[in-house]
Amino acid sequence: MQRYYSVGSNMAATDETSALLRSFECEQNLLSRPDGSANVRQGDTSVLAAVYGPGEVKMSEEIIDKATLKVIFKPKIGLPGCAEKLQERLLRNTCESVVLAVLHPRSGVNIVLQVIQDSGSLLSCCINAACMALVDSAVPMKCLVSAVTCAVMEEGRIVLDPDSKQEKESSAVLTFAFDSRENNVVTCSTKGCYTPEKYQECLSACGAASRNISSFFRQAVERRMSKEL
Amino acid sequence: MADSVGKVVIPGDILSEFRASEKTSKVALGPGLRQEGEEVLVTKGGILRHKEPNLYWIDCHQRRYIPAKGEDVIGIVTVKSGDVYRVDIGATQPATLSYLAFEGATKRNRPNVKVGDLVFAKLLVANKDMEPELVCIDSGGHSSGYGVIPADGGFMVHTSLNLVRKILSPNCDILKFLGKNVPFETAVGMNGRIWVKAKTPKDTIVVANAIASSEHMTNAQIRTMIRQLLDKLSGF
Amino acid sequence: MAADFKTAQPVEYYRRFLKEDVRPDGRELGEIRHTTLNIGSITTAEGSALVKLGNTTVICGIKAELCNPTAEEPKKGFVVPNVDLPPLCSPRFRPGPPSEQAQVVSQLMADIIENSGVVALEDLCIVEGKLCWVLYCDMMCLDYDGNVVDTCVISLLAALKNVLLPEVTVNEETGSPVTDVEKKLPLNIRKCPVATTFGVFDDHYLFTDPTNEEECLATGVLTVVTTEDNKICCMHKPGGTALSESRLQDCINRALTRAEEVRKLIDETINSVER
Repeated sequence: MQRYYSVGSNMAATDETSALLRSFECEQNLLSRPDGSANVRQGDTSVLAAVYGPGEVKMSEEIIDKATLKVIFKPKIGLPGCAEKLQERLLRNTCESVVLAVLHPRSGVNIVLQVIQDSGSLLSCCINAACMALVDSAVPMKCLVSAVTCAVMEEGRIVLDPDSKQEKESSAVLTFAFDSRENNVVTCSTKGCYTPEKYQECLSACGAASRNISSFFRQAVERRMSKEL
Repeated sequence: MADSVGKVVIPGDILSEFRASEKTSKVALGPGLRQEGEEVLVTKGGILRHKEPNLYWIDCHQRRYIPAKGEDVIGIVTVKSGDVYRVDIGATQPATLSYLAFEGATKRNRPNVKVGDLVFAKLLVANKDMEPELVCIDSGGHSSGYGVIPADGGFMVHTSLNLVRKILSPNCDILKFLGKNVPFETAVGMNGRIWVKAKTPKDTIVVANAIASSEHMTNAQIRTMIRQLLDKLSGF
Repeated sequence: MAADFKTAQPVEYYRRFLKEDVRPDGRELGEIRHTTLNIGSITTAEGSALVKLGNTTVICGIKAELCNPTAEEPKKGFVVPNVDLPPLCSPRFRPGPPSEQAQVVSQLMADIIENSGVVALEDLCIVEGKLCWVLYCDMMCLDYDGNVVDTCVISLLAALKNVLLPEVTVNEETGSPVTDVEKKLPLNIRKCPVATTFGVFDDHYLFTDPTNEEECLATGVLTVVTTEDNKICCMHKPGGTALSESRLQDCINRALTRAEEVRKLIDETINSVER
């Protein structure tokens, strides 16, 4: 098993909040059975993603002109419930919008996400892990998605990539996923109340940070391929 | 983009300025590249490769096999149904193999194929919308190496698709170097399955291990590794 | 002829309409279907409301029960939303355990209730650590023609505004709760969240209030929930077409206007109901 270990230094966002992302690490191809796998760590938050596919799919779930995507979200403890279903749907739709499903009709792509440690910004970590696992499995994709979470603190300050303590103290937590081509918003999920002005502020802060993550993704692939260059 | 040849590209990158063939003024795009309007879009993360005169593709670490027409694969017969065999080649769907697609086979004279047999075959039909179809004969009706692999002491290993391509490339001398020291038979399927058979089971395992562990090695490293293995084999 | 075209080429059929800035049902891109509201339709429930948004119909009934608060949060009651999408409302749904869609909408309702703070859970507490109210908000879809989220939110808000809870006192000697059915009090509604859903077609056209057909053809949907103090309490965009900042801002502005209209409708209906 070949392991590629890349440690991103703390990446500064170009925003007046001058918030920093926590250290961002990504390890690809660490599982032997799946077709693609990735472990993404943002600070202490860690998610393991595995991709199987394109493979066989149940007759009832078969789509005639494209691949069926399925996301299985495994929480760290307990059985998945209603909240996890919403997460799964969100993650599946996010992946669907970047995967070129038309190239593998009547097949299935399964993405399994296992939470290893949740220390805040879990959703963005899940999206990033799923994206890296998809790249690793070489499922054809239109572009990449990079997700960033930010928290609006009581006094109005914006904290990028918050940990669970900051999330708890904040008045709102917003997660955005951006496509790597146009840097537009693919996915958006929020918690708490905030004004439209704050929303725009968070959006542009996260948008700037997502470019850092996109360029980190490129480095990760470069490192993975370095032996063949 | 002539200057990104040999560099790493990721999905979403847009490429341009491809070198077209002088005769036809066309560019051939291989796996991982896709035309979208006027642009060429990268759909897989890997290294952009170019072959003269006009062929471009992405080299990536893929494990799942996507059937391509004309490729040689090793399959496992899973079902016998009517006049076709269903063969697992590691792709999305099982491939079909007609019992007439063997050398000298007729309606009366059926080939002796059992469930669980390994077959070395060529993909006749490989298309995203259709079931893949295998044949064990060439266009002249001769077996030319294809057919059922006899189950008497050989061993099949699963490897990555990348390793298969590496082994088959003319720059890689693992098979040549191994063969000089340990005589063995082999069949290499593009679906990441390699079958080997040497004189004794011990030799077979040595050869299989040598091949499986050579993925990320250079030619020099491979030679050292094989020498070490051979030394151990002869009891040093 | 048009029907054949629609069956054979649904996307192209739709595209032709949108080119002319009109939708097959005659609405403009930003137009929302007619909303009708009936409050207090279920007499056995503590609060109820029936909402029709075009053909989409959702009925919401709220039952209140007494229970013990949790040890972690002794001062808080509970609000438990549940959305039911029975086979009767659309051929999409099969009998059996709740479909994925039903679970997703239920969870979204729970998130909206929590994020907006429509009901302060402390208001549901009767005796700290001993007794509190649990409000079961059951939303049943009777006709599924797209945009259930918006309809569910309207029905939920209207039903909550309709809730009358009897006064509860605790008998000192036996410790058992005594309800005073004569004296009923309305629930304190702190915020009024209203959802607006947008659909994106062909990565370009943005339209409000999609029907079922439109939801199936859309390349992306976006739901914005706003409260009366012009704050956003939920912005849910599960994948689909990527939208730019300016288009998102446009959606927010339209959601704020729409929310104003809905709140007016709810208030007018409440005032017209005799109690």
